[in-house]
Amino acid sequence: MPDLTLDHVVIGVRDLDQASADYALLLGRGPSWHGEHPKYGTRNTLFRIDNTYVELLAPAGKGRWSDDLRRFLEKGEGVYALALGTDDINAVVKDLRNRELPVESPADGDGLDRLGGGHRFWRNARVAEKHTNGVRIFFIQHFSPPDALPVAPVAAEGAHVTRMDHVVVLSPDLENSKRLWGGVLGARLALDRTFPERNTRILFFRLRDITIEISGGAVQTEEGMGKPDRLWGIAWGVDNLEAAVNRMRAAGVDVSDVRRGAKPGTLVATAKSHTHGVATLLIEHTPESFSPESRLPQGVAYDNDPGRRAFTATGLHHVALAVTDLDEARRLWRETLGVHANDILESPAVRLATARMPGGEAMVGLAQALTSQHRIAEWIEQRGPGMFAIAIQVDDVDAAVRDLRAKGVPATDPEYGAMPGTRVARLDAAATNGVSIQLVQRLPDLL
Amino acid sequence: MIRKIHHVGVVVHSMDQAMRFWRDTLGLHVHKLETIQEQGVKAALLTLGDSEIELLEPVAPDTGVARYLQSRGEGLHHVCFEVDDIEADLQELKHKQVELIDQQTRLGLAGRICFLHPRAMHGALVELCQPIDDAAHHEAAHA
Repeated sequence: MPDLTLDHVVIGVRDLDQASADYALLLGRGPSWHGEHPKYGTRNTLFRIDNTYVELLAPAGKGRWSDDLRRFLEKGEGVYALALGTDDINAVVKDLRNRELPVESPADGDGLDRLGGGHRFWRNARVAEKHTNGVRIFFIQHFSPPDALPVAPVAAEGAHVTRMDHVVVLSPDLENSKRLWGGVLGARLALDRTFPERNTRILFFRLRDITIEISGGAVQTEEGMGKPDRLWGIAWGVDNLEAAVNRMRAAGVDVSDVRRGAKPGTLVATAKSHTHGVATLLIEHTPESFSPESRLPQGVAYDNDPGRRAFTATGLHHVALAVTDLDEARRLWRETLGVHANDILESPAVRLATARMPGGEAMVGLAQALTSQHRIAEWIEQRGPGMFAIAIQVDDVDAAVRDLRAKGVPATDPEYGAMPGTRVARLDAAATNGVSIQLVQRLPDLL
Repeated sequence: MIRKIHHVGVVVHSMDQAMRFWRDTLGLHVHKLETIQEQGVKAALLTLGDSEIELLEPVAPDTGVARYLQSRGEGLHHVCFEVDDIEADLQELKHKQVELIDQQTRLGLAGRICFLHPRAMHGALVELCQPIDDAAHHEAAHA
């Protein structure tokens, strides 16, 4: 099944204007959008942050979703639903139905920004919460460009919420939750740990860089079995917790003192007012929380944490083979393995032929140096022809170089690559187990 | 025949040390880690888009990987291509008189595999693999 993301989190509120003002104080940034959905019978305010957006949703008149939202609000405000994002909602619905999750058929939706005049389009599909342990989940595919929803303007630079760190779900039946999030929804289980002294067991499921933290008792009780889960709270990431707490206090928000978080290297504080029924934690990751050592006590021995990363390695771009005669090498690869390296680039120093693979992203690159000083020529001189380097695609080569240098991996300054529309940097093989690695960022297509 | 690059094999001195870079610094997810006694290697598979990085640490002397490490040091070892029908492809390679390391396919970490001789591909060690899908495996087990 295609990977799901946490597209956004919906908080059900009674008074939208009050809630919007309160969340502007909590987040330290203004709203991105003031929307209304006549079809749904709802109005909303959206705040788009680095890695997701939060939707404050209030009923307005009659529509498909307003009755359910009103029923929810009778019990109190709070996190109302999780919207899981996909690039292919039809495939997701089909796969989930195959896994016996009766998702409703996708329906078109759209929203208008009352103030900004914007118009956004999506398709979403609901699933009745009785099938998802009582948690309202819907699936959404957006058809408007990402910038159709503007980033929430920062009101207090440095003291604002930058990203969502995790969402907390309370579960009386963790095995049920594990089946839903891991088995059915396909989220990656990154941690399953029991703290007997606190009578707590927590599961971490990752949706790209946001964690769904599911928390319950260390021992499964009989009365808890089959009982519904509850969307409980949100942990917001900040760059500077002390600045954020000072800002919020000055604005009249009741915030706890800063304390050490359960994860080594983190600082946390709890907001106790203005939250509209959402348990609210603010979290700062200090440099120690990035180190491998800090992960070990958490029991995540073979995990890395995308949420803490400055960049993401998104794929293998190509494997580069050093050859002495490009035309001969092209013939060999074509005749032996049916690999057609037909895309040829030539610079004064190097000739490069690349072959795409029918079923994958990574390409084969055959490279012949045209001068004896070129590093490919030097490589062949020392080690003979053969596998020479790999190119790894990253989402942001500049951020990657800064981050890797800070972690002790020497890297060249990013520059435009031989392949059109790429920016590249090379890492020092002495720091990469002897592998020549080129980082490649594909630039947006200008044509 | 070839569908995609399945993985790139990297020979390392120490898996623990290599994890510091590939897992912790580069941020790749480790989805498999096991010691394959009969091949004398500890192997880790890390996800990189729709391909993988395979880290190989020799745990016994006198294996191909140990000899490679001794003579050439750490670095790129092989590239593995996923194919649709490895038996047919191996037959075809034999028919073309391509120099092979494996005359028969065998079971590896990536499924049914075979290696071509590096002389056949101008110094590049090429592996072919056909992943064993669970359904087929299940069927075979109950045939």
